[in-house]
Amino acid sequence: MDVSGIIASNAAKYQPVEVEKETPLEVDPGLLLVTDLNPIDQEGYNANLEEHLQSLARDGVQALLASLFSLPTQRSDEGPLAQLPPPTTALPRAKPLPKPKPPTKWEQFAAAKGIQHRKRDKRVWDEERQDWVNRWGRDGKNKQVEEQWITEVPANADVDHDPRKIARDERKAKVAKNEKQRLGNIARAQGANPRGVRKEEIERTLTTARISTASMGKFDKKLDGEKKVRGVKRKFEPTEKSLSEEKNTSLALISKMGSEAKKMRREPAAEESVLNVRKAVRFAGKTRGGAAPARGAARGRGRGKGKR
Amino acid sequence: MRPLTEEESRAVFEKLANYIGKNLIHLIDRPDGAYCFRLQKDRVYYVSEDTMRLGISVARPNLISLGTCFGKFSKSGKFKLHITALDCISKYAKYKVWIKPNGEMPFLYGNHVLKAHLGRITEDTPEHQGVVVFSMNDMPLGFGVTSRSTVDTRKLDPTSIIVFHQADVGEYLRDEETLF
Repeated sequence: MDVSGIIASNAAKYQPVEVEKETPLEVDPGLLLVTDLNPIDQEGYNANLEEHLQSLARDGVQALLASLFSLPTQRSDEGPLAQLPPPTTALPRAKPLPKPKPPTKWEQFAAAKGIQHRKRDKRVWDEERQDWVNRWGRDGKNKQVEEQWITEVPANADVDHDPRKIARDERKAKVAKNEKQRLGNIARAQGANPRGVRKEEIERTLTTARISTASMGKFDKKLDGEKKVRGVKRKFEPTEKSLSEEKNTSLALISKMGSEAKKMRREPAAEESVLNVRKAVRFAGKTRGGAAPARGAARGRGRGKGKR
Repeated sequence: MRPLTEEESRAVFEKLANYIGKNLIHLIDRPDGAYCFRLQKDRVYYVSEDTMRLGISVARPNLISLGTCFGKFSKSGKFKLHITALDCISKYAKYKVWIKPNGEMPFLYGNHVLKAHLGRITEDTPEHQGVVVFSMNDMPLGFGVTSRSTVDTRKLDPTSIIVFHQADVGEYLRDEETLF
């Protein structure tokens, strides 16, 4: 029996499994991505666009599926799962590179003087205990004096001389100073001159104080060198502007207001649309002698002098 | 006389939109000539272009009034609508209330509209909505704000207030000297 005809007709129904292109397709199974670098076939494109695109897509998907079937698989309840390799195509990052941190005051000084940064170990050697101890933190060396169970007191010391308190205050002062410098560094990084900020604050307080009298500062005694308070200069559109322009700005403002109102209006929940909570509270309050139910419950009695 | 700043326009438009909603566009974009809003001594005037151009030549202290006065800005920057704006509002009003002949006089003397005086009301008017008050033969008498929605008014007793009074045409006589 000759089956070659049947085989040929069967083969004609299906397209070949291997995709042959001038430039081979680039497949990145990690991202499930196929890139076709071949130039566009002008004739096929012009003749029938839809068919051309479909055949291109078919080739791409075929190549992708072929690569997926060649991957190692893993068994699962839903059938075998292909294990995707890590992607090879580098995607651009979504966000811009983070800006470098502005240098602190110490870093600026060190750079100017050429001081190299030396990393200090967190632990130091304790001769007495013959062990490594923390420089700070739990059982830190900086707390050694205040945690001693007995301390020497100098002969001429006051009655209330407390070496533990002195050591502790010293340590706490260092912490406070460091915190202040840290905040100063942050403020400087924001572009604010801390002295300038403080000056502005004082000036603002002064202006407020000057107009906070009964006459709004009109009849106050003027001090030497006191400057006149200057307000914000207002600026208005000219009266004789072209009216069509004015109309357009008005219409734009109205449409903006409309879209704002739409944004503000949230979708009411299903139960909310049926029940007006405010009204329900009011009606419930009426039946119980004028007190809102929640208020009555909170007081633990039915009748109370609540606000209607 | 000067045009409104954006903040002022917003205050005016918000107040007007309370009564006429989207129809506000028809006040600004009119087919029968250009109209604009102008501010003079805290009062907002709705003026045609010609009148406005004539008014430019009058010095600010000498200019008493021009066009239609729509209302005035309070010292705290809130906008208050005057009864003189009624003509423009009543044409485009979204929600209306008609009152019976026996309720006209009390309303024109500055009282709120009671349920007993209510003739008709626009269907599905919400609570606290700006409405224009008409007499039964469709003459605009003033405007106000609803105290209840249309549905809720049915359950109320006849002496309860339906529309809070804001302005009525009686003010043309009562506040003659400050109105325009």
